[in-house]
Amino acid sequence: MDAVSRFLTFGALVQGSGGHIAGWRHPEAYSTGQLDFGFHVDLAKLLERGRFAAFFVADVVAIWGHQLESLSRTGRAEFFEPLTLLSALSTVTRDIGLVGTATTTYNEPYHIARKFASLDHLSRGRAGWNVVTSVVPLEAANFGRAEHLEHSLRYRRAAEFVDVVRALWDSLPEVLRDKESGRYYDPDVLAPPHHDGEHFTVRGPLNISRPPQGHPVLFQAGSSATGQDFAARYGEVLFTDQPDLASAQRFYAGVKRKVADAGRDPDRVLVWPVLAPLVADTEAAARARVRELDELLHDDVARRLVQDNLGEVDLTGHDLDGPLPEVPEGNRSKSRRDLLVGLARRENLTIRQLAHRYTGGSIVAGTPEQVADRLETWFRERGADGFNVTFPYLPGPAVDFVEQVVPELRRRGLVRADYEGTTLRANLGLG
Amino acid sequence: MSRKLHLTAFLKPPGEYLAAWRHPEVDPGAGVDFESVLAFARTAEDAKFDAVFFADLVGVPLESQDVLSRVSVVNDSFEPTTLLAALAAGTSRIGLIATASTTYNEPYHLARTFASLDHLSAGRVGWNAVTSLNDGEALNFGRSAHVAHADRYARAEEFHDVVVGLWDSFADDAFRHDRDSGVYFDPDGLRSLRHKGEHFSVEGPLNIARPPQGRPVVVQAGASEAGRRFAARVAEVVFSGVRDLAAAREFYADIKARAAAFGRDPGSLKVLPALSVLTGETRTEAESKMDTLRTLMPPQVALAHLGYLLGGVDLTALPADGPLPDLPESNQSRTAQAEVYRRARARGATIRELAAEISADTGTVVGTPVEIADRMEEWFRTGAADGFTVIFPYLPGTLDDFTRLVVPELRRRGLFRTAYEGATLRDHLGLPRPERGTVP
Repeated sequence: MDAVSRFLTFGALVQGSGGHIAGWRHPEAYSTGQLDFGFHVDLAKLLERGRFAAFFVADVVAIWGHQLESLSRTGRAEFFEPLTLLSALSTVTRDIGLVGTATTTYNEPYHIARKFASLDHLSRGRAGWNVVTSVVPLEAANFGRAEHLEHSLRYRRAAEFVDVVRALWDSLPEVLRDKESGRYYDPDVLAPPHHDGEHFTVRGPLNISRPPQGHPVLFQAGSSATGQDFAARYGEVLFTDQPDLASAQRFYAGVKRKVADAGRDPDRVLVWPVLAPLVADTEAAARARVRELDELLHDDVARRLVQDNLGEVDLTGHDLDGPLPEVPEGNRSKSRRDLLVGLARRENLTIRQLAHRYTGGSIVAGTPEQVADRLETWFRERGADGFNVTFPYLPGPAVDFVEQVVPELRRRGLVRADYEGTTLRANLGLG
Repeated sequence: MSRKLHLTAFLKPPGEYLAAWRHPEVDPGAGVDFESVLAFARTAEDAKFDAVFFADLVGVPLESQDVLSRVSVVNDSFEPTTLLAALAAGTSRIGLIATASTTYNEPYHLARTFASLDHLSAGRVGWNAVTSLNDGEALNFGRSAHVAHADRYARAEEFHDVVVGLWDSFADDAFRHDRDSGVYFDPDGLRSLRHKGEHFSVEGPLNIARPPQGRPVVVQAGASEAGRRFAARVAEVVFSGVRDLAAAREFYADIKARAAAFGRDPGSLKVLPALSVLTGETRTEAESKMDTLRTLMPPQVALAHLGYLLGGVDLTALPADGPLPDLPESNQSRTAQAEVYRRARARGATIRELAAEISADTGTVVGTPVEIADRMEEWFRTGAADGFTVIFPYLPGTLDDFTRLVVPELRRRGLFRTAYEGATLRDHLGLPRPERGTVP
């Protein structure tokens, strides 16, 4: 792709009333939005006005934390199940892609292949699957396991899982529906996988015809080395937490190289750093908004947030305004632990400051021009092909982004003025 | 208020009849065409049906390609829970029931999916709990053969109890969303399940507020001894394939007595026998529609269907002009197998004759609106049914005819509602909202 045909693309990472853990408390947040379908419909329509490529739903198959004193102060114990939410949205939206997270650790490939194929048919080609491996310990306990699969085994299972799902999507490649001859399909084209592997035995075929997109678009977020290898092999949109442009560029260059090494076209794989925009008329007003959110973060929540993202450490009794203690390596998400420990050490942060940096880590606060500048720089300097946008609270910051930042990006010729095609694949430029 | 019929519309787009997709008036791809399915659901909603109801298999049955390539529904249909979610957004009053197997699912996923659907639909969802019947499903989940009948029900009972326990994770008023105090939910309103049983170990809690209905309505269809026991303990809607009135009365009395023996109010369990219908302005018109439909059935499919009813037997290896020999007891549906034998023995029919007869006689009641209403009324008034699971041979034709002709006749007799009175599926069915923590 040359510079002329390259366009910024966006997904919206939707988490109920906001992506910031204390965002639901903001006076302008719609604090009961989490299980309000009408709220999600309005949001999806707003995002369509902003020509977002995807409505993206994260997921954990458990409550998101087990310490009730902190959990009960967050919206992380009630979510719509993603496939049902996206299917419901498919009928009241027209253009936006519908991307749901589903774990390969506690699912069966037949169910997942089928549900995403069904969503792709319901939406006429707008489905995407964010492929994850499970790392939250509470998920294991909901499926009869004492603990999670070890890191590399989890990814081996994930790779086999995706292979089976793709083979199932291809298993009834076309239908005849020939009333005259009485053949619904030509038996010669049927291709049941007859898969017999390390983790799964799946005969097939799938009981739904090939999805309109062929395959729903595969999203992937692994930032660890194993995760990047997996992403390079399978992912089509890779989203990632990157603290600054230099590190985003390293990730971008590294993962695109791995994509090429895997024999795939790097231009057909998009890198989307996570970005949380807070727009205001002046830079000072935007910064004040960030401080407002910091102040809404309760002590218990701040402590748990740091602890849960570090894994094997107990912060109970540690002064929030004191330094971070030693943190051993564990069987959790390594990339996130390394990122946070590195940040705390480098900048000599207290636990509370680390919590604020974490919750505000992807926040870009500024005027519409400043936010557009930031997006443009990352895009032109090859740190990003687009962004997975999380709004700290909803709906305000999403309205601001759509009404102020997107038009500015359009003036600069960085985004397309309209949806290019009818499928998610087409609107991402993945053909 | 006088007792009214409850009706669910059992939809298998493009129709229950295996050759329905070939019908000249049918969209053969309706199984994966949302606009079509939504139109069917809206027709049922306009007619004030209690619910639409979708069957399910998690695989394609093990049949020859020669047979499978001539049928539609098992090869090319929406997955029911995603379909239900889409229908929730496209309808406003009608109940939405989907089938999901207890054999190849995990209770946490299933509890969550149906709770999510109940929130999306503001309390209109039901779960038809089935134990999987088909070896074509087993092979998609790493099992070589199907789990034995009794084991399947033991797992189903435990599965159900875990699902209900998960739905009760949060108190109805646990979520406060109080931004001033910063309390999103009241921790005292949360209870983890901590289930450790023979088949499942599930910590909980569920990651969603208690469903608007408390619990989605539980539907069950088992007719065997184990199935009846399960239904009597937990089901709120029971449907059966019983076709004659005497057997239907026996089933009705038996299941209600069993429910009472479990300490339940028999009125909190609605028996809705399956009723396949084809009607027309006149009897001749209705019969002619049925004849048209029959001509569409390929003989290969008729023979395979007979084999399926017998428990997955390949009948092509047997002499078509010989009698049906004794076959091993089915590990699938024993009730269906017994019914085929009863008919074979009663008539001394050959396999070929039996296949033709069974494919032609779909169990569909063909008649005028008055005849069909008479039959429904008789079943309803004489202790055989609280309503019906209405099956439509092809769509939308037979659904349109039923709602246009039979429903008004039922209303004239005061047997069916003219408007929805409540908001939830429980309201439509006259079922109480379960208290949290009560074990059925």
